[in-house]
Amino acid sequence: MKKVIMGVLSISLLWGCKPAGPEFVEDIDVVYTTFDDTFDFAGKGTYAMPDQIVTDIEIDNGDTTFVFMNAALAAPILNEIDAQMSAYGWSKIDPATSQPDIVVMPAAIKSTTVYYSYWYDWWYGGWGGWYGGYWGWYYPPYYTVSSYTTGSLIITMADPDANDNPIRESQTAWIMVGNGLFVGDYNVSRVTKAIQQGFTQSPYLKTN
Amino acid sequence: MKKIYLGIIFSLIYTSSLLAQSNTTFTYSIGFGTGDLGEFVQAASFRGVSVDFRKMVQDNIGIGFGLGWNTFYEELASDTYTQGNSSLTGKQYRYSNNIPITLSTAYFLKPGETVNPFFGLGIGTMYTLRNTDMNLYTLEQEAWNFLLQPEIGIQYMVNDITALTISGKFNYGFKAGSELDAAQSYFALNVGFAFLN
Repeated sequence: MKKVIMGVLSISLLWGCKPAGPEFVEDIDVVYTTFDDTFDFAGKGTYAMPDQIVTDIEIDNGDTTFVFMNAALAAPILNEIDAQMSAYGWSKIDPATSQPDIVVMPAAIKSTTVYYSYWYDWWYGGWGGWYGGYWGWYYPPYYTVSSYTTGSLIITMADPDANDNPIRESQTAWIMVGNGLFVGDYNVSRVTKAIQQGFTQSPYLKTN
Repeated sequence: MKKIYLGIIFSLIYTSSLLAQSNTTFTYSIGFGTGDLGEFVQAASFRGVSVDFRKMVQDNIGIGFGLGWNTFYEELASDTYTQGNSSLTGKQYRYSNNIPITLSTAYFLKPGETVNPFFGLGIGTMYTLRNTDMNLYTLEQEAWNFLLQPEIGIQYMVNDITALTISGKFNYGFKAGSELDAAQSYFALNVGFAFLN
């Protein structure tokens, strides 16, 4: 009996010691970048960027319209991209007056995953349940429905002239994805930090 | 009839206190990763247990089995991981669960004395489950390593049937499978109780 108690004790002790993991939403933020290694970034110097961030598209009777991010939220994100581009020696130009070397396209998307589970919880009240001679299931079973939403900021760079292909579209030269849990507090510093990190880990974008 | 039963019971109790039939230990286990495991998680593991049962075939030789569980965990600060043209930055959460399962033998140097040093060897397998968590994803790798487990320790008799035990085990799991490309090994310091009967 002593051995059984010791065994149960040690297993339950261990159970209570399951290691920790991420504690804050920032802990799971990641920044991914990749680039086309045949693209000559250093030989370019000007860029154009829209003053709005696309978050969705709506298709109604074949007409496609863009949905844009609230300007108050978009402004600090666009400003951060401008600041990082400027620090790497790029100058912003108006595409209406002259042709930019590259275009920078920011987009933001949200994705919600809903999951659903249920289980039958068996009788439990310590070991007494065993000695009681019967143990069974509660009815009805528990149902849980839960969801999480992730948000991504995607920034792409492409040369608008490099569209010499059958579909007349430019291949992306650089892409950055900042991804994290979307918690609805609109903490824009998580996004601007991701942008800073995206440029920090992409030193090949430097033209100066 | 009653007398015979009593006689049998007494003789059993008598022999058990004179000469142990089995030696079972329950220990708390602290793990220190070595080699590939030590590089993956540098921090020591303070989450572990170990159980060893040995049937005494002679006064000083026990044969039995062992089962253990150590969980290694480390939170890495945000860092950038680059492969080819791609870079990924974020925090990593690393976990390694190691479960050594052995058939083992132990040789006791001073059976019946208060301080009883011993050494032993276990042969078996170790289940390794390694998780590398980043963002909402986990990279899960597992292996069933062939295991050699030398052990050295001391049992200190508290009374006829109970002893305090401290021992060091080195778990060496040979490279196995294709998911983990190196041997998995760690040193375990086990402290606990031994029950003799």
